[in-house]
Amino acid sequence: MNTTYLRLELRRFARDRVNLFFVAVLPAFFYLIFGATQDVGDRSAGDGNVSLLILVSMAAYGAVTATTGVGGSAAVERMQGWGRQLGLTPLRDSGFVAVKATLAVLVAVVPVGLITVLGLLTGAEGTPRAWVLSLLGVLAGAWVFALLGLVVGLALRTEGAVGATGGIVVVLGFLGNIFVPLSGVLLDIARFTPLYGYVALARYPITGGAVPDTGGAGSSTGDPLWLPLANLGAWTLVLAVLAVCLVRRGRGRQ
Amino acid sequence: MDGAAGAAIELVGLEKTFRTKDGEVRAVRGVDLRVDAGEVVALLGPNGAGKTTTLDVVLGLTEPSAGTARVFGRRPREAVTAGRVAAVLQTGGLLRDLTVAETVRLVASTYDGRGGADVVDDVLVRAGVAHLAGRLVSRCSGGEQQRLRFALALVPDPDLLVLDEPTAGMDVTARRDFWAAMHAEAARGRTVVFATHYLAEAGTSADRIVVVAGGRVVADGSVDEVRSRVAGRSVSVDLPADTGRGDRLVTAVRRLPGVVGVVVEGSRLRVSAPDSDAVARALLVDLGATGLEVVAGSLDDAFATLTEGEAR
Repeated sequence: MNTTYLRLELRRFARDRVNLFFVAVLPAFFYLIFGATQDVGDRSAGDGNVSLLILVSMAAYGAVTATTGVGGSAAVERMQGWGRQLGLTPLRDSGFVAVKATLAVLVAVVPVGLITVLGLLTGAEGTPRAWVLSLLGVLAGAWVFALLGLVVGLALRTEGAVGATGGIVVVLGFLGNIFVPLSGVLLDIARFTPLYGYVALARYPITGGAVPDTGGAGSSTGDPLWLPLANLGAWTLVLAVLAVCLVRRGRGRQ
Repeated sequence: MDGAAGAAIELVGLEKTFRTKDGEVRAVRGVDLRVDAGEVVALLGPNGAGKTTTLDVVLGLTEPSAGTARVFGRRPREAVTAGRVAAVLQTGGLLRDLTVAETVRLVASTYDGRGGADVVDDVLVRAGVAHLAGRLVSRCSGGEQQRLRFALALVPDPDLLVLDEPTAGMDVTARRDFWAAMHAEAARGRTVVFATHYLAEAGTSADRIVVVAGGRVVADGSVDEVRSRVAGRSVSVDLPADTGRGDRLVTAVRRLPGVVGVVVEGSRLRVSAPDSDAVARALLVDLGATGLEVVAGSLDDAFATLTEGEAR
């Protein structure tokens, strides 16, 4: 892979202070409000307490914000002529994708790392296995949402696409059972949305599949492991196919 | 002329059709063009003439709908990958949050063995942006960004430089500096092909002018040859006062073989064609036109007639 390009991309990321705030600081702030300062934080949620459960949720939200942002700006950047400029170099499309995918995962480490440190300082507790597997799950699944950003960016074809992606992620975050515990019909619908599978999978090492409700600990409506796996797998496939179709449509002069 | 090996660019029967919401757009309608190594060629034509599309094919950015394109005897994309051809694009975007030097470093890193600091420093100096090395691209003026694109084009040490409207948006001084830098590169033996709609630029900076209009080559030769081919060969006739008859005449004239430009100027209709005798005969005999006269014009007039007529 072209490491010079990757290093310069990381430098660009660090230069964009506003973006850095939303990617790194906002999810950490959410964790402090929803997780660390809640009375229910000390209650058990399985192999960890409720604070850890909320920590993982917010880390996932932060990681998705980061990777959709990378995907969205990659799409916008290509359409604004940088794609043509790169088309004059030996760099292949696959080389470009490799740089951006690696960048997405590295950028996702920022909010996840920050939240982890805050969590350790403010009383998130769990077994070492729950900590490690959950956080690895957050990082491993995050790249899928770079595809989501790419698809929205390619579909909207404007600079506003990156902002729109941020809004979409918030809505999907609610449906993904991240901010407020869902129940009833809404929960049934939510199970089909992309962030649900990802977050449920990341929380699985803590909850063993139990769906969090307002009480925090396991309720009767548990999800078997195949459900989040099938959800994430299906969405990966859908987003990848859409991305390929939109990239083909977008070839040439814009 | 040498064989195919001596050709920097060889286009044969090149056509490109785009499908848009409003139907098909035939941007390039059969271009045959050979540029030999070492030539400095201007591609002259108005916006929408097909210049950029033709150059996109030469650069491997788009595939032709019909015909073939060879760059140094290879497929365009292969020539790009090998670093034999580079370009300054009219619509080539830059990343606003990188510095000038970082942008060059990024592009240099995509070529094998061209990523060294010496290459980066060298092209910054040659493009006249060494003093801007640490400046963010977003803080550079349009002319400075254009010179940065020029620096990027110099990175692979290409044998063929393609410049698409390279001085668009530059002021007079920047434009003069840019052409000085370009001439220095041409003097090193590079082949240069540039697209422009400034006649003066084509006349002073190129050895050869290829006039493109409506997706076709309408004139090709040295500055003097193009002038003698197109200037002084306009035929004008009275335009009938009755709009219906006038429109019918314009339509009929456009369909005449060999007509490259039709312009309505008040009550006169100006027609330009390489074979002006045939057009004059057709106008008088077949179309019953009146008040025929041959108009002598400057190169500017001739260019306007040629290209405006075709752009419709």
